[in-house]
Amino acid sequence: MARDLAIDLGTANTLVYMKGKGIVLNEPSVIALNRQTGEVLATGREAWQMIGRTPGYIVAVRPLRGGAITDFEITERMIRLLLQRVGVSRFTRPKVVICVPSAITEVERRAVTDAARRAGAADAQLIEQPMAAAIGADLPIDEPVGNMVIDIGGGTSETAVISLGGIVALEAVRVGSFDIDAAIQAYVRREHGIAIGERTAEEVKVAIGSASPTEDESQAEVRGRDLMTGLPKTVVLTPEEVRFAIDDVVSSITASVVRCLAKAPPELAQDFLSRGMYLVGGGGLLRGLAQRIEKETNVPVRMSNMPLEAVVMGAGHCIEHYDALKGMFMGARR
Amino acid sequence: MTVLFISLVVLAAVGFYWYGRRRHHQEPGVASFQRHIDALSSERRRESFERVRPPMHDDDYDDETGS
Repeated sequence: MARDLAIDLGTANTLVYMKGKGIVLNEPSVIALNRQTGEVLATGREAWQMIGRTPGYIVAVRPLRGGAITDFEITERMIRLLLQRVGVSRFTRPKVVICVPSAITEVERRAVTDAARRAGAADAQLIEQPMAAAIGADLPIDEPVGNMVIDIGGGTSETAVISLGGIVALEAVRVGSFDIDAAIQAYVRREHGIAIGERTAEEVKVAIGSASPTEDESQAEVRGRDLMTGLPKTVVLTPEEVRFAIDDVVSSITASVVRCLAKAPPELAQDFLSRGMYLVGGGGLLRGLAQRIEKETNVPVRMSNMPLEAVVMGAGHCIEHYDALKGMFMGARR
Repeated sequence: MTVLFISLVVLAAVGFYWYGRRRHHQEPGVASFQRHIDALSSERRRESFERVRPPMHDDDYDDETGS
């Protein structure tokens, strides 16, 4: 008998929670394929290490962009391999709860559930990421008080106001950590005339990226290919440059938080002043982001204890109490 | 007199039946909402989270990019 699963199918990472066991898998959402035969060569961390470093016949891709499936067939194969790795076979078909961005369309929703069913799930239910994040972050969402959660993932940023076990207000933008990396890549190309890969851009973001000035700022050396000569070249980036490069993306995220605050009923809005908002998701780890949001909203911002695992832990709790919480699944409310 | 008595008994029976049905119809909603809220309580969540092993952290790659 297969144990039921909760999956956080993120643009950046995929986490799997097994009922009664906890998180059993945490890997990048990447798959490497042989371009000629279509054969899967690697998934997860192994495939992630291949990004940008493969020979012509191998392609390492992220089958999700902006939280949505961009390649249905590859996503299905990736889910099938992930399920196999956690012990699912054709004879053991578990119930699966999958976390998805709240803004996905009906077609995208169907694509995710179909991919999971074809990959071996007996039943696939979807839950909105901010709701799962609020459960996983241990916010008191069972009480009649305003809880605000900001989930910044690889491809989406979602802000939700939750009270009495339901979403009261929601705002989502298809902008996330990968857009920050892309903005750094574009800036370095434009201003310094060198091309850098997405992994290098990510390293720059982690090393010196910030949304507002912070203490202990330092510069970073970036190596890439000179666009004029085609030769390797090194340039030095300052934190101010990176802040300037990513400002549009950060502004887009903070603007969505402000829009969500404006949608909240006044009775709940006053709770935020005392209780604050909670940041989850890998994008929330960007230095100075909490301070930037706090400055623009005048509402305290706190970091969740488990920003990277909150979503899958929340979905895992729904798997543990499946019957009591099945009303929260996306199909159940329509 | 008998007719009046029978009418009163019938009315009372209909009243009890209607009240019973109403209660019967209301209870599942109340009960399921209570169950839903109870399952979301901090105690229930703590039970779930404490039962499972601590989350894995990987050192080989940087996972600060997103969820």
